[in-house]
Amino acid sequence: MSKGQTNGLESLRKRFKVNHSTILVVSALILILFVAFSVRILPMRWEIPTGQIHLNEFDPYYQFSLTSYMVDNGLFSPYTGHWVNYQQWYPQGLDMSRSLPALPMTAAALYTAISFLGINVDLMAFCSVLTVVLGTLSCLILYFIGKDVGGRAVGLFAALSLALAPSFLQRSSLGFFDTELPGMIGLLFFILFFLRSIDPKHSLRGSLIYSIGAALSLAYFITGWGAAYYVLGLTALFAFILVVLKRSDKRLLTSYGIAMGLSLLIAIQFPQIGYSYLTTAPILAVIGVFIIMLINEFARNKVSVKTLTLATVAVIIVMLVSIIPLAYSGYVGEIAGKFITVINPSIRASTPLIASVAEHKITAWGNLYMELGISAIFFLTGLYFVLKNPTNRNVFLLLFGITGLYFGASMVRLLVIFAPAFGLFVGIGIVGMLKPFMAMFKETPNAAAKAQRKLLRVSKEYSGLGILFIFILLMTQFAFTPQTGGMPRAVAGAYAPTSISSAALPIIPSEPMPQWLNMLNYVNSELKSTDVVVAWWDYGYWLSVSGNVTTLADNATINSTQIENLGFIYMADEKSSLKMLSTYGQKNVRHILVFTVLIVYQDEYGNYKSGAWGFGDEGKWAWMADISGGAKDRLIQEGFMDADNAWAGRNDFGYTLDQWVWNEQGKDSVIYKLLADIENEFSMSTYGLVEPLYGESVNLDYFKLEYLSGNGAEIALNPYGSTIVPLVGLYSIDWDAYNAAN
Amino acid sequence: MFPQVPDQHKNGKPLVPNGLGVLYVLFTTVYLFVLYFISENTLFPSGISAPLTLAVCVLFGGFMGLLDDWMDIKWRYKAFMPLIAALPLIYFAIAMNARTSITLPFIGFVDFGVWYFYIIIPLIVMIVTNAVNMLGGFNGLETICPVIVFIGLMSISALTSYHYLLMVGPIIFWLILTMLNLQGKIFVGNSGSFAIGMSIAAFAIIADVKIGLLVSMIPYIFNSSLILLTVFVTRKKALINFKDNKLESDHKRSLVTAITYHRPLTERKIVMIISAIIAVFTLAAFIYSCISFFI
Repeated sequence: MSKGQTNGLESLRKRFKVNHSTILVVSALILILFVAFSVRILPMRWEIPTGQIHLNEFDPYYQFSLTSYMVDNGLFSPYTGHWVNYQQWYPQGLDMSRSLPALPMTAAALYTAISFLGINVDLMAFCSVLTVVLGTLSCLILYFIGKDVGGRAVGLFAALSLALAPSFLQRSSLGFFDTELPGMIGLLFFILFFLRSIDPKHSLRGSLIYSIGAALSLAYFITGWGAAYYVLGLTALFAFILVVLKRSDKRLLTSYGIAMGLSLLIAIQFPQIGYSYLTTAPILAVIGVFIIMLINEFARNKVSVKTLTLATVAVIIVMLVSIIPLAYSGYVGEIAGKFITVINPSIRASTPLIASVAEHKITAWGNLYMELGISAIFFLTGLYFVLKNPTNRNVFLLLFGITGLYFGASMVRLLVIFAPAFGLFVGIGIVGMLKPFMAMFKETPNAAAKAQRKLLRVSKEYSGLGILFIFILLMTQFAFTPQTGGMPRAVAGAYAPTSISSAALPIIPSEPMPQWLNMLNYVNSELKSTDVVVAWWDYGYWLSVSGNVTTLADNATINSTQIENLGFIYMADEKSSLKMLSTYGQKNVRHILVFTVLIVYQDEYGNYKSGAWGFGDEGKWAWMADISGGAKDRLIQEGFMDADNAWAGRNDFGYTLDQWVWNEQGKDSVIYKLLADIENEFSMSTYGLVEPLYGESVNLDYFKLEYLSGNGAEIALNPYGSTIVPLVGLYSIDWDAYNAAN
Repeated sequence: MFPQVPDQHKNGKPLVPNGLGVLYVLFTTVYLFVLYFISENTLFPSGISAPLTLAVCVLFGGFMGLLDDWMDIKWRYKAFMPLIAALPLIYFAIAMNARTSITLPFIGFVDFGVWYFYIIIPLIVMIVTNAVNMLGGFNGLETICPVIVFIGLMSISALTSYHYLLMVGPIIFWLILTMLNLQGKIFVGNSGSFAIGMSIAAFAIIADVKIGLLVSMIPYIFNSSLILLTVFVTRKKALINFKDNKLESDHKRSLVTAITYHRPLTERKIVMIISAIIAVFTLAAFIYSCISFFI
């Protein structure tokens, strides 16, 4: 071998030379990513028997319909073609060009790319699995943020914490194809790039590149999730605090200006964001902080601190003085209702439409503990270490942690924003606590540990006990979690089927529950896409996207009047209900759907009885009553209600005596009759084995059961315990009988 | 392996290994994990795991003690740190729909309602852990007294549930440490005293033996109150003089100094007197619980 060849090999060897700690870190990171991916893919176990991988919950079906449209017609087609989907929110349709583009565009672009490579997969399955990939990617990005903040160990702990954080896990597990994912990716990339851009150790060129990266990430967040107001506000607050602390400099000004300016410039090109976004109060605050920073920069070394403070106060006053009248005159765009309610959660209780959604609820104490677990110890110590060392980066982290906790505590759904902040603080806390033990572990044996009490000799093994204790504490956090009965909390959170494969029930069945899947197959094959199926808004997306029929309302909740009318249709008597339905046109509105869940059990005499479980319309009717009751005045004015039988809410339909008792008005409502009828049908299908819940037959004048998914013959009753029985009934509307009688 | 400290109350102040309480923590953790695996859904109701909840609390208590042994945590932090370990207990109590009332002697029935979860449980954890940690400093004192309280609480718990099984193994192990401690061969250190204090508090909440805990802990609470009041009011600490193998004090600023006030006693005798006081109160707690149970 020649000398040249030897040198070449030597330089190659040096180039790829990695030390043991790097190998360990990379191995640990791969393991964490593998765990993150594996846990998120667990619901696949219920999808395989159904023959298709479905999406989870309801909103992902909306995102899927957009993706499907983009794949068929081009990435920008919903926006350039101003697509209105008339299968939703009949008759006016749903303007899909008002949708946030980031997630469907990402999915459509990636799907097109893999299709181009000749890989053929079902689009729904692709979207479903993409969530798992993006969730895993988020953990990788957080590793890099943690690495920048406190080294590789902090990065690893932060990534592990995020990988197994229940709130994020739920929203990035198989099929949860929703806005939080691009939001999380955008948020994490933004934090990574923005913090790097303001780091003085990077060159000006590097800082500019990172600022552009931060801008693109922020644009992705804004066009991906409405919660982008949070990160915009957070960054503005951070910049403002640095100005107050006299730490603002040209680098911060440049980074802030590029990140905010460029991201907003990109985002407002999409109709859903639009130019009006720039006049919303949080964006005006972002601009205000930028002006303050500019003044601060120009005034540096030229004016006194007093003048500078006065100028800052003046800008704030001018901003407030100009915003308040503009806001009152309607020129300043409001923040979406549910985001205002995050800042003031008490507003939510007074808005039934927002309060009726589980994910908008205030985070209960138990939820918070389920989320944090015993790692709360490390979170608090992490806060302590960050407070002790208030660098610019740590000031940002501190604001991220505290505001994230507030937002997460305010709304269950926003715990997902808190998850990465929590992971970072946990990482900092663990590493901070381990440091003294690690130092002793590495130092010579018999080192003095605590002079005050004259500890004379301390061995390496003893210092190892501290490390072992932290390890076992983490083990109880991640592997044997007390609050989930010993099951790893990640598995407890993720090992559940998609909603549609569990018939919309919060249970973990051994096999998929096909009731909803069968109903969607039925309407898909037996009804036309223009046929309107009336259903409570929760099921709108399933029916329009998977069932390929037309619906009156869905989770988009764009038209509260239509939801009030829908509530009225279910809560009114048959005649009034059909009077309302007539306004939507008898030609297309031909079906109404009801979903109920029974719990069947044996009494002491061995007779099977059933009770209402509360997760179907037998529980949701209360919201139907409240929401329609809230529109009482309008409905009276429009002639649908009269003063005698008008209602204000659920309590007008009965009273509680151990359990709910329907009164005469309640028993006359469409929802009661449909629930009783479907339950009677189920009882009959068991050949009378199960006694009817309502105990009496009901007389439906204008509705006729067309298809019942979930009859007694399909269900094996458990003689030793209770059996959950979901029933989905499709009724056809007998317009001829109605017209003849009226 | 263990750090060594001088035994202040022995002639020549021989060096004794300190911090062996960590072994109790490790043994208890392993025991509770084994119990969790073998008793799942049989002895303890499913949903929230009692053995694992207790294990987390003991681990945290031990870790806190270990940090204190190493870093000498200031009292203002140490007093409130156990509150963190109250989190799993609050969650356990809420999820298991724990009884929020207590029937006190001479007072009667008191229902704390929701305050039990958010105020009383954290207070129990904080007070008991710190009170146990404050009664020590003599060979055997910090080991034998908790074991007396524990035996009482386990006996009370045995009247109504299987929860006493949670601590059978750990208490046997602690008794071994007690024997060695009494002989002056080891100290359990803060890691031991915090862990055993946390064990008492957590066990009392999980097994719902609040009244037993309250009565048994009276001597501990008396000792802590005396020490804290003296420190806050007179700014003076309890001190004890060691002379001719005997201990004596000229003030009454703690339970120990009250017992040795102008009365020289050997270390062993002091430990025996305090243990007897605690045994009396624990027995009273057991008798009261038996009467309440059978009547």
